[in-house]
Amino acid sequence: MIRFLEFANQALFYYYLACNFIYLTMLIVAFKGSASHQRRLQSVSLDSIKRSPLSPPISILTPAHNEQESISVAVQNLLDLDYPELEVIVVNDGSTDQTFQTLDERFVLRPIRAVYIQQVKTAAVKGMYRSDRDPRLLVLDKEAAGSKADAVNAGLNAATSPYVCVVDADSVLERDALMRIMIPVLTDPDRVVSAGGIVRVLNGAETRGGRVSRIRLPRKSIEVIQVVEYLRAFLIGREAWARANMLMIISGAFGVFRTDLVRAVGGYRAQAIGEDFDLVARLHRFLRDQQADYKIEFVPDPVCWTEVPSDIRSLGRQRARWQKGLLDVLWPNRDMLFRLRYGRIGVLALPYLWAFELLAPVIEVGGILTILAAACLNALSREFLVQFLFFGYAFATIISIGSVLQEEMTYKRYNEWRDVARLLTHCFFEHFPYRQINMLWRLQGLWQYLRGDREWKPLKRRGLDAANTDTKAPSAAPAS
Amino acid sequence: MRSASVLLMGSAFETFRRIGPAAFVVKAILIAVVADVVLLGIILLRRTYRKWYFARRDAKVFEFRQNWDALISSEIPFETWRTKPFERRIIEDIVLDKLEAAGPDESARLLGFLRASGLIDKLIFEARQHLGWRRHRALVALGRTRSPESIPALSEALRDRALETRLAALRGLERTASPEAGQQILNWMSELGLRVPPLPLQSALIQCCAERPQILLAHLQHAEPTTREVLGRVLGEVSTPSLGIELLRFADDDLAELRAAAARALAHTNPSMALDVLDSLAQDPVWFVRLRAVVSLGQLRYPGAVPQLLRTVGDSHRLVRLRAAEALVDFRAERIPIFQSVVAAHDRYGLHAFLAALDNAGLVATLRVELEASPQVADNTRAILMEILRTGQLPVARVVASEIAELATSRP
Repeated sequence: MIRFLEFANQALFYYYLACNFIYLTMLIVAFKGSASHQRRLQSVSLDSIKRSPLSPPISILTPAHNEQESISVAVQNLLDLDYPELEVIVVNDGSTDQTFQTLDERFVLRPIRAVYIQQVKTAAVKGMYRSDRDPRLLVLDKEAAGSKADAVNAGLNAATSPYVCVVDADSVLERDALMRIMIPVLTDPDRVVSAGGIVRVLNGAETRGGRVSRIRLPRKSIEVIQVVEYLRAFLIGREAWARANMLMIISGAFGVFRTDLVRAVGGYRAQAIGEDFDLVARLHRFLRDQQADYKIEFVPDPVCWTEVPSDIRSLGRQRARWQKGLLDVLWPNRDMLFRLRYGRIGVLALPYLWAFELLAPVIEVGGILTILAAACLNALSREFLVQFLFFGYAFATIISIGSVLQEEMTYKRYNEWRDVARLLTHCFFEHFPYRQINMLWRLQGLWQYLRGDREWKPLKRRGLDAANTDTKAPSAAPAS
Repeated sequence: MRSASVLLMGSAFETFRRIGPAAFVVKAILIAVVADVVLLGIILLRRTYRKWYFARRDAKVFEFRQNWDALISSEIPFETWRTKPFERRIIEDIVLDKLEAAGPDESARLLGFLRASGLIDKLIFEARQHLGWRRHRALVALGRTRSPESIPALSEALRDRALETRLAALRGLERTASPEAGQQILNWMSELGLRVPPLPLQSALIQCCAERPQILLAHLQHAEPTTREVLGRVLGEVSTPSLGIELLRFADDDLAELRAAAARALAHTNPSMALDVLDSLAQDPVWFVRLRAVVSLGQLRYPGAVPQLLRTVGDSHRLVRLRAAEALVDFRAERIPIFQSVVAAHDRYGLHAFLAALDNAGLVATLRVELEASPQVADNTRAILMEILRTGQLPVARVVASEIAELATSRP
């Protein structure tokens, strides 16, 4: 028993070591990637994208379920985006509030008989409406099917553009975000099949008319810690994975996809818990099966602002859900593991996700238990424990501070000294006790999934002009 | 089996025990703590430096803007700032920013300043001599000057080994928007083939060949198939009526992309010349050629194109049908006879496309009013058409066969 505990404790140490070394490597790759991206941007003129007849049309798909508070502002923001050829498709997903009426009042909708071919199966579409105020706006009124994926699929069926961009109705896109996210697509349209932008935390920022007017850090520590998490996940994790063409997640809050490919893989899986992750995984599988030469890109500067949970309970539910979503995608795709046919996705990306994302809560919580057991049995070297804790803490903090440095050296959205000081301070809190609590939530998510609890409970939020709010349930999982 | 696993586990314990992480961990802790402190230090130092740098820069920018006219008219001698990199960079940035928004007179003045001050020579030197990102930066700046003398240096950079540098050079040439730059790009393509992704290349050629699209034709004849596709797309965007008969020879080219380009280009030519060719392209086996032909037929805005559009509104491809319907809806004066013809074709896909296009254009109510008021439509025909407009459904064939036949005889 004692030997086993010793073995487990040391194995836990090497697990931590491996995990942090991977993050360190990603940090270095991400620094290099961001620097190249910024230099590359110097030669790109957004104005020429705006004027170019070659810029492909984009259909923005926005599912809306009981969004009466923010829908009209959100849709107007989407219509105001800078992009030469744009179509906004809002899918009213069986809202029981005044979402549709609000849209009708603001945009003067009239029923139309547009072509709607159900290439991807969805719940019934009751009607299609075009705005008299802005003919680029199409509203689909459909019956609720209980998932965002179903609503997006309905929008996908109605889309007429070669690219679709999925945007959450309660997220805020910066005005030039579409042009920026399309830069890799425009540079290499044959290979780039999808691109994701960065999702940032809206809480704390001042918004006016649905636009971010002043960027500030949120007040609550729990929100600030999430800012650090998002920075690390997007600016380091996704940047690094995308550099190696192994990006497995494009945030459901903001991403661009080639329409024909999304249709070819059957659209979003309606029952998926993490539908965004699931779609990207199926795209990888499909394209690898076809032996296609393709790229899925991450672009760090087109910004999508979104609310994050501001209380422990909501945050816990969100993290449990993300973990369920992770298992829900990894398990059906387990046949891709270590298969050379799936290249680096099968050999590196998926094993990483299994070992360091999916099983992390099991291993870490299990590790804590073995340490406690060893302590009870007087089999624990106190020296080892202290060293292990110090090392794990200091190493993990490097990565968090590194992500703040990355933000400072590149996009620098938090300009005030006070904000940066708070961000840095929270880098030290993040690894104790928040990390351990987060692991428990994630473990709970795994347990719920295994027990068959796959239900998604929508969380309360207050709308775009009240960002310091309760919460939403973004599928913008910042898993690296 | 059990003893083997015990042995294996035992040896693993021994290995771990031998390695003994303790000494290593102490060193690792030290390194990690030092790394934390270094990262924090970098953030703090960087912020402090940037604060100081931008305060200094803002002051200089303010000073230069106050004396801008004196500066570019050389009242303030160039030598006072040219040898100071910090000041030179600020002035270069201000000039390039101003050039972006300047009209022709102001552009000429700013360009004159760039030449007289030697800034443009410096940029050309950097674009030729530097490597990597420094060359990239110089090429971007050179492109922003839009000066003819920058074209040779930018063209040389098209032959760089790094894709990013080639793209920067290409985008620089695009900004000049001059046929000379277009010629250089075409020469480079002929020499080395496609060495950048097609879209940036097409974008650059569209800008550079817009003024003189003829330069594309010579290259199109001798180009490789992949290059021809790229050039064909460009031709489609930049062609003008001046190209005239030259375009017709691409209408039966082997490459579908080139046929599509010809179709696209024919939208800008004389309708009487384009109509027959577009009619034949609208029956092409490749859907996107048909699509381009239909769009061009619509863009001609020529009543003679209506019969062709009426035929393609029943095309097998959804987008072709939609575009044909949109084009038909644009013929406002003939909307009723067109609607009658769409109904008479008795093709529910065609009818659906037409009604969708009417809906999208917000013209359903207008057509209803026009139908009610039209003295040329017989009462029973009007009733059928109104019903179709209301329901979006064709009448049951057996019941109204005679009415449909009647509609067919009254087609425009």
